[in-house]
Amino acid sequence: MSVFKRKPEPVDAIIVGLGANGGTAAKVLSEAGLKTIGFDRGPWLRAHEHYSGDELKFVNRDYMWPDPKMFPRTIRYDENSEAERFPFSPTPQMVGGGTNHWAGWVPRPRESDFMMRSLHGDIDGASLADWPFRYEHLEPYLTKVEWAFGVSGIAGADKYEPYRSKGYPSPPLRPTRYGKRFYDACNKLGINAFPIPHAMVTNNHNGRDPFNQTSFWNQYGDPSGARSNILTTFIPEALATGNFEVRAESFVREVKLGKDGKATGVIYIDPDGNEVEQEAKVVILALGAIESARLMMLSKSSQFPDGLANGSGLLGKNATFHEYLFAVGLFDKDIDEPLNGWTGNYISGGSLEFYETDESRGHIGGCIISASQTCHPINWVFPGRPSWGEALKDADRNYFNYAMKIGLILHDLPVESNRVDLDPNVKDAFGLPVARITHRPHSNDVAMGKWQVDKNIEILEAAGARKTVPVYLDKMTGNTCHQHGTARMGTDPSKSVLNEWGQAHEVENLFVVDGSGFPTATGVNPTLTMMANAWRCSEYIAEVYSKGREEHLALVK
Amino acid sequence: MTLKADWEVIGAPVDPDTTDRLFFTEHEWETVEAATARIIPTDQDPGAREARVVVFIDRYLSGIDYVYAAADGSGFLKISGRYADAWRARMADMQKTYREGIRDLDDRSVLEKGARFKDLSEADQDDMLETISGAPKPGKVTLGTKEAVTTFLQGSFDEGLEFFPALCLHTRQGFYCDPVYGGNKDQMGWKFIGFPGPKSLKDTMDGTYNTHEYFHEGEYDWHELIPHLKVSTWAESADS
Repeated sequence: MSVFKRKPEPVDAIIVGLGANGGTAAKVLSEAGLKTIGFDRGPWLRAHEHYSGDELKFVNRDYMWPDPKMFPRTIRYDENSEAERFPFSPTPQMVGGGTNHWAGWVPRPRESDFMMRSLHGDIDGASLADWPFRYEHLEPYLTKVEWAFGVSGIAGADKYEPYRSKGYPSPPLRPTRYGKRFYDACNKLGINAFPIPHAMVTNNHNGRDPFNQTSFWNQYGDPSGARSNILTTFIPEALATGNFEVRAESFVREVKLGKDGKATGVIYIDPDGNEVEQEAKVVILALGAIESARLMMLSKSSQFPDGLANGSGLLGKNATFHEYLFAVGLFDKDIDEPLNGWTGNYISGGSLEFYETDESRGHIGGCIISASQTCHPINWVFPGRPSWGEALKDADRNYFNYAMKIGLILHDLPVESNRVDLDPNVKDAFGLPVARITHRPHSNDVAMGKWQVDKNIEILEAAGARKTVPVYLDKMTGNTCHQHGTARMGTDPSKSVLNEWGQAHEVENLFVVDGSGFPTATGVNPTLTMMANAWRCSEYIAEVYSKGREEHLALVK
Repeated sequence: MTLKADWEVIGAPVDPDTTDRLFFTEHEWETVEAATARIIPTDQDPGAREARVVVFIDRYLSGIDYVYAAADGSGFLKISGRYADAWRARMADMQKTYREGIRDLDDRSVLEKGARFKDLSEADQDDMLETISGAPKPGKVTLGTKEAVTTFLQGSFDEGLEFFPALCLHTRQGFYCDPVYGGNKDQMGWKFIGFPGPKSLKDTMDGTYNTHEYFHEGEYDWHELIPHLKVSTWAESADS
């Protein structure tokens, strides 16, 4: 790598990371007329040409997951250990990001998610904080995302959903067999089950052609217009404005800070290995909460020796990751009807019945649950499956079509020492220190996981399962690819990194519009909330900040 | 540099009946074939031997030309640049893992059973796999129980695996992969398990392969599945 190439022309805005949130920013900014360049370290694939139902390629050989040799991460479970290499939270790093491979759960957050500290006060060992805005501020943007991006669901089916201003643009899929079992079992137990809002369309919304009915879904790319993928929706829409340019396989290694304390742009390594500087009036980070924090830490200067905009010292801290926990139920081939657990588009019926705090359960908060696909032959989900021999063969033969799974997205509490920082030993393919995760679950996380997995077992048993395999929380593995909290939004610059618009308190033209800003994790899959927030922040950038103005929200306490 | 989106398609689907060896020696081939046949044994249904799992593993270990099938299954992708560097390094490690693992398996077999692994009886081969696995041979799954486990990862990548876990994972992959990779001959793994997979990867790209008949069959009414809809204040009704 090399010569500094000549500087390209400055632009209005740079976006780093073109996943769910960077893609949303690209659409909003370019449609508002800002000349914008989007960088992604990963490839810019063509869905209709590169995606198909190849389990080995997509699920086992990391065609979309980050290559662990090129972009390793490390983890340690206590402060004194040396961190080990581990593919923690391997969200695809590519144009479209995690929306390329996701199942697409897009439930709305709840009003309580924005005010955990007001509701619960000081919780020992946790660092709860309220958000600097409320559900009502986000609601219009939730609706915008649901309609522009494409979400299927049934308005009014979720008994506990807060106010919504509009229904869904697409009806849900027909139920799978295990989905039907889930509805029946929930009705028996008095639980409000409904089709989890799904980032896919089943109709021709926005001219899409959702021909993919293959059941190759979670972790696979979708060659059709069914999946709501940034790659096939907001990126082409942004390009169509003529104001947006994609630079793929371009690795941004530093945000540059000028003498005036504002970001001047970024330094990146282009696909041929040249180092290039790109200037812009505004720099927007959307790499995900791990990599956005890492890039800010790599962007050290005399003004910010501990990482860009990190005067609070909070950068990287209070990281939350959710964790997918679940229970599998096995049925008897000789007696029961097949469940065809490999069918469907991963999620099916789900519920938020157990979402709000009920202290009699022994924990605060709660989370979403859902029946979901047990997936395809190589990797079908049966934790504890015999690894070889006749027992393995019998297990596959007897249970592949006779298994059902009910999972949950753990609403983990923020803990200041759970954090992302730079690993002192391990480097990536560009020779830069990788993100190191330090994490120990809060006792509330363990208790919630145990209580909810056990509740899921009750539902499985009501559905007729004859054996259950619970997966409880042991340690955080990042298996949801959800990342939040590493650059908290808040009103007080000593207790947060970003303000209510995702704007760095200390660097006025630096914005972070991914999950980094989430003060608490929420108990729902975060992407809808993130995208709505990215839309909201991007609108502020285009309509207020770029016009030389400043506004703030006043919250009624 | 060729960008990932422009990786060229090279080669052709692997012929499962080939006896050409790209990586293994003849002895290694026979040893791996024998071991995979104990991992997924042949009974009233075909096992790893019939599904040509050894062909699948040999191609995979031969370099980086059989890592990713082209989306439509017409051949394989030619990996470029930093991706190729990473895969070459990883493959060199895995080749070493296999070479040394096979040698170790033979050494122990000679020591404990008096012959190399492939020449042992099935029962003795199972003993040796038990030895290198470091755990008792897995017992049959029984119903009527609850067995807790912790930690679950979505993907199962093979980087850094030791010989026996790698061999178990690759055997499973070779038994159930798309046949383009050389295993799962005639889709026998899929037929055995009851998975009605696509005729070709191409059929998954254009709507030809459709699985809706395996969803819930027949009529359904969202108002029955979701009783709350009957009292919901939302006026829009759901179509089924």
